[in-house]
Amino acid sequence: MEVNPIHLPSIEYEGFTSEESAALRKAGIVVHSLEQIKAWARSNSLWPLTFGLACCAIEMMGTGASHFDLDRFGIIFRASPRQSDVMIVAGTVTKKMAPLLRRLYDQMAEPKWVIAMGSCATAGGPYVRSYSVVKGVDQIVPVDVYIPGCPPSPPALIYGLNKLQHKIRMDAAGKRVAR
Amino acid sequence: MFGFLKGMGITIRQLPTKKVTLMYPNERPQWPERFRGVHEYIPELCIVCYQCARICPTSCISLSGARDDNKKMRIETYDINFEICILCNLCTEVCPTNSIRMTSQFELAEYTRDGLYKNMDWLYHNHVEHGSFRAMQAEKERAAREELEMPVQQKSDDRGGDK
Repeated sequence: MEVNPIHLPSIEYEGFTSEESAALRKAGIVVHSLEQIKAWARSNSLWPLTFGLACCAIEMMGTGASHFDLDRFGIIFRASPRQSDVMIVAGTVTKKMAPLLRRLYDQMAEPKWVIAMGSCATAGGPYVRSYSVVKGVDQIVPVDVYIPGCPPSPPALIYGLNKLQHKIRMDAAGKRVAR
Repeated sequence: MFGFLKGMGITIRQLPTKKVTLMYPNERPQWPERFRGVHEYIPELCIVCYQCARICPTSCISLSGARDDNKKMRIETYDINFEICILCNLCTEVCPTNSIRMTSQFELAEYTRDGLYKNMDWLYHNHVEHGSFRAMQAEKERAAREELEMPVQQKSDDRGGDK
């Protein structure tokens, strides 16, 4: 009786020819730098800090619920900055809130990433001419991914989170993603 | 104890029901007809009336145009700043020629703020890739086919008139 060959994901390792990569796959050996393995683990267990400031938070909660289910990506919301890796800034950041946002960011353990969700967090959005709103959260904390929309739909947030996962893996491989 | 059993009963009753999760990166969401996604832009239809730029509540649209040889207004640059665009649909509502429309495209996350500043080429590309380009081509083809069939009918009508 003929046995079907096992279909392994075809990983092409850097610095190896395709035959060598195939032989390594067959032997069940993973050749990656420790950084890349760490990045793989980190990108698949992003724990975001619940940082809902406005209507974007409703979409963020909807993304975490069963219809879109962030748990599929290992993304589990934490209520403490000490336990979280990524801060999803969902909503309008007022000038009164800005110091608190910075403090919560400083309390997060390294490595940490920030996602600016929605127009308000990206650049002020509809309050771009307001006196009391911070014109973009990148004036306070370094931002990795910007998601436009007012508010972004749950699939748009998942798309942004997948882009952040891609960025973490690319950074570990020594490749730059940002232009 | 009774409360615990009651709760477990609800849990067990939910087990055989259909799963509601949309496996998003593998499965595309089905948007309603009037979903407001990223804009598409058709430069041939634009008459440079500036109504979209005037009505925009965040002034995120900037455009410029000039008169061509036939004294018709032609668009030269058309930029939308998606950093502050709130996708409110007002620009598409005032457009007299429907040259700016909404698509169901939503995948627009970027690593830099500069990447969210989209120009005419990107918006036209969005029209071709995710917008109403295919529907418009089909409409044009249908109109051309009808035009081919029309003269035959007219000829037969003329002959009927002679008799």
